[in-house]
Amino acid sequence: MRDADRIDAVVVGSGPSGAVTARRLVDAGMSVVCLEQGGWPDYSTARAGFPDFELVARKHWDWDPNTRRAPGDYPIDDRGSDITALMFNGVGGSAVMYAAHWERFLPSDFRVRTLDGVADDWPVTYEDMAPYYDEVERQFAVSGLEGDPALPPSTPPPLPPVPLNKVGRRGAEALNRLGWHWWPGSNAIATRDYGRLHACAQSTACPFGCPVGAKASPDRTHWPDLIADGVRLITRARVRELVPTASGLVDGVVYVDEAGVERIQRAQVVILCANALGTPRILLNSGLANSSGLVGRRLMMHPFGNAIGIFDEDLESWRGPLGQHLYSLQFYETDTSRGFVRGAKWNLLPSGAPLSIMLPGLWGAEGHWGPDFHLALRSRLGRSAIWTVICEDLPDDDNRVVLDPDTVDDSGVPGVRIEYRTSDNARAMMAFHLARLEEVLREMGAKEIILNGHIRASGWHLMGTAVMGPDPATSVVDPVGRAHDVPNLFVFDGSTFPTSSGVNPSATIAANALRCADALVKARAEQVVPA
Amino acid sequence: MRALDPRLRAVLGGIADQLIPAAHGMPSATEVGVADTLLDDVVRARPDLVAPLADVLTAVADDDPVSAVARLRSGAVAGFDVVALVVAGGYLMSPRVKAALGYPGQEPKIVDPDDVVRTVHDGLLDPVVARGPIYRPTPGTEVR
Repeated sequence: MRDADRIDAVVVGSGPSGAVTARRLVDAGMSVVCLEQGGWPDYSTARAGFPDFELVARKHWDWDPNTRRAPGDYPIDDRGSDITALMFNGVGGSAVMYAAHWERFLPSDFRVRTLDGVADDWPVTYEDMAPYYDEVERQFAVSGLEGDPALPPSTPPPLPPVPLNKVGRRGAEALNRLGWHWWPGSNAIATRDYGRLHACAQSTACPFGCPVGAKASPDRTHWPDLIADGVRLITRARVRELVPTASGLVDGVVYVDEAGVERIQRAQVVILCANALGTPRILLNSGLANSSGLVGRRLMMHPFGNAIGIFDEDLESWRGPLGQHLYSLQFYETDTSRGFVRGAKWNLLPSGAPLSIMLPGLWGAEGHWGPDFHLALRSRLGRSAIWTVICEDLPDDDNRVVLDPDTVDDSGVPGVRIEYRTSDNARAMMAFHLARLEEVLREMGAKEIILNGHIRASGWHLMGTAVMGPDPATSVVDPVGRAHDVPNLFVFDGSTFPTSSGVNPSATIAANALRCADALVKARAEQVVPA
Repeated sequence: MRALDPRLRAVLGGIADQLIPAAHGMPSATEVGVADTLLDDVVRARPDLVAPLADVLTAVADDDPVSAVARLRSGAVAGFDVVALVVAGGYLMSPRVKAALGYPGQEPKIVDPDDVVRTVHDGLLDPVVARGPIYRPTPGTEVR
C-alpha cells in the first residue's frame, strides 16, 4: 500500500458540499486533497442541438447509476425501495445532472418538531443559515427575484430570473386567478455571463449536459479555480475505508486509484461529502462513527410526482431551461385539516424535446402507436407543460442504506442496498397536491391532464443517513458535522439533514457545508489531530 | 459494417411501420429511413442498443409485423422498450419529420434577463405580493 504525506484535510467527494468545503478550507490556507471516485463529466456526449440528443442523453446522462454504469458508479440494489436512488459520481457530483432548481429551505423546515410535533428540529435555524445561503448563491450563479412572500426577506440573488416564456406566463396567470402563490423560478442557471458561466440558451437540456455552460455545477463553477489555487483533486479515486488510530481518531482514508493501486491519503481531518448513500457506505465499511446505530438510517428521498397539461395553443414548450420557470409554495406549510403534516413545492417546467413525450412512461404506460402516434405527437410537442411535486419526506429509522454483501464495485468495495417505503403521510400529501394541480391545469386551459404520483425513478434528493444533532445517542455528527465518536472526522453533505423539507435540497446542502466548513476553520486551533 | 443484417432490418421495418404508419399527413417510419440510414444514426449514437435490438428482432423474425407488434406489446416477447426507442428515436431524428411538425429542434435562444423585470412592471406579481407573507417564521424570532 502506498502512503502519502499527511495534509491538513482530505475531502471525499467533489459535488456541491465537497467543492464549497474545499473553497473555504483553501481560502483559510489549509492544504486540501479531494478524492473523487469518478472522472470529469464528458461534455462531448452533451448533444443538445443535435438530432441524437435524446438518444444519447438516455444513456450517458441517465440519472440511474445502474443504467449509466460509468466508471465512478457503484452497485445500488434498489429492489427493496419504492424509489430509485439517482446520482452522478464524478467531478461536480450530482449537480452535474441536477435541474438546477435552487431553493432555500423555509424557516419552518428547521423547526418541524416545535411547529408540527413530528420528526426533529435542526440544531440551527433559518436565520443561522441565511448568510451561508447568500454566499453559496454567489458561488453558484443563482438567478431569481428577491421578495418572495413565502420566505423571509433576503439578499437578492446575483442574477435576474430565467424568463417565464409562454408556459410560465400561462401558469402565473392561472395561479393569480385562483389567488394562489407563485414566484419566478430560482435556479443555479446564469441569465447573463457570470464568472466561468455563459447565459442560458434555453435548450431544455439542463440535466443532460448543458451545451453552453450556463448551468452551475462545481466542475464548472468551483474546480478549475480550486485546482489553480492549490487544491489537489484526484479523480477515479475510490475510497474504501477510513484509517483509524489507537487514540480514537482517523488518520486519513484508504483508496484505490485509477490503476488499481491501494493508497493511503493521511490527513489531519477527514471530511465526507459523498452523498447520503456514499457517505454511510464509507462509514459502514469502516465500522466507525456508529455508536448511535443511526449510520445509514433515516434515508429520505422526497416522494415525487408530476401533473402534465396538454393545450390547444402552441406554447413553444420545447424551449426553455429545465430549471423552473416558476414555483408555488401555496400549500407548503402544515394544515392538519388536509389529513397530513408538512407540505410540498410545485415547479413549472417546459415539456422539452419530442422523444421523451412519446415513449411509454410518464405520458402513458402504453404509449401511442399506429396512426395515433402522429396525433399525440402533434398535440404534445410544444403544447404541454409539466408541474412537478416535491413532497416532504419525514425521517424513518427503517428507511435505510446498508452494505450489500452480494456486490462490489470495480475496486472491490462493497455496493449498497436501500430499503425504503413511502409513508402514509407522504401518500396523503401527494394525493392532495395532485388534486390541487389538476385544478391549476384546468384553470390554465389544459384539454388533457395526466397525473403521475410517486414516480419510482425520482430519488435525486438523498438525505439523512448520518444525522446531525447535539446528542450522541440520537445523532451521528454534532451540529457542525463532527462525528460524535471520532473528533477529527466530519460529514458535510446531505447525510446530516435531520429532516428533508419539501423543496430541492442543493441550496441547503451547499449552504450547510459552508456553515460547517466555516466552523471547522474557526475552531482549527482547538482541533484534535493525529500525532 | 452495418449494425444489423438486411433480414433483421426488414423485420424492423415491418414493425416500425406498424408503430408509425403514414397517416395524418405524416410519413411512415420506413419512408424516412428508420430501418435504413436512420438506424445507422441511432446505433452510432447508441451502440449499446445493437445487441438487445438484434435479440428482439430475431425472436420475432418469423412473425408477420402485426403479430410481432402484438407479441412485443403484450410482453409475450421481451424488449418492446428497445424497439420503441429505436423506432421513435430514429423517426424523430428525421429532418423531414421535423419539417412536417414545424419543430426547429433545440435552436439556441439566449435568455432575455429583463423578461421577468418587465413582468413585474406589468403587475403580474402584484396580487402575490399584496397578500403578504405566507411562511411561518422561526418561533421566537421577529423576522417579519
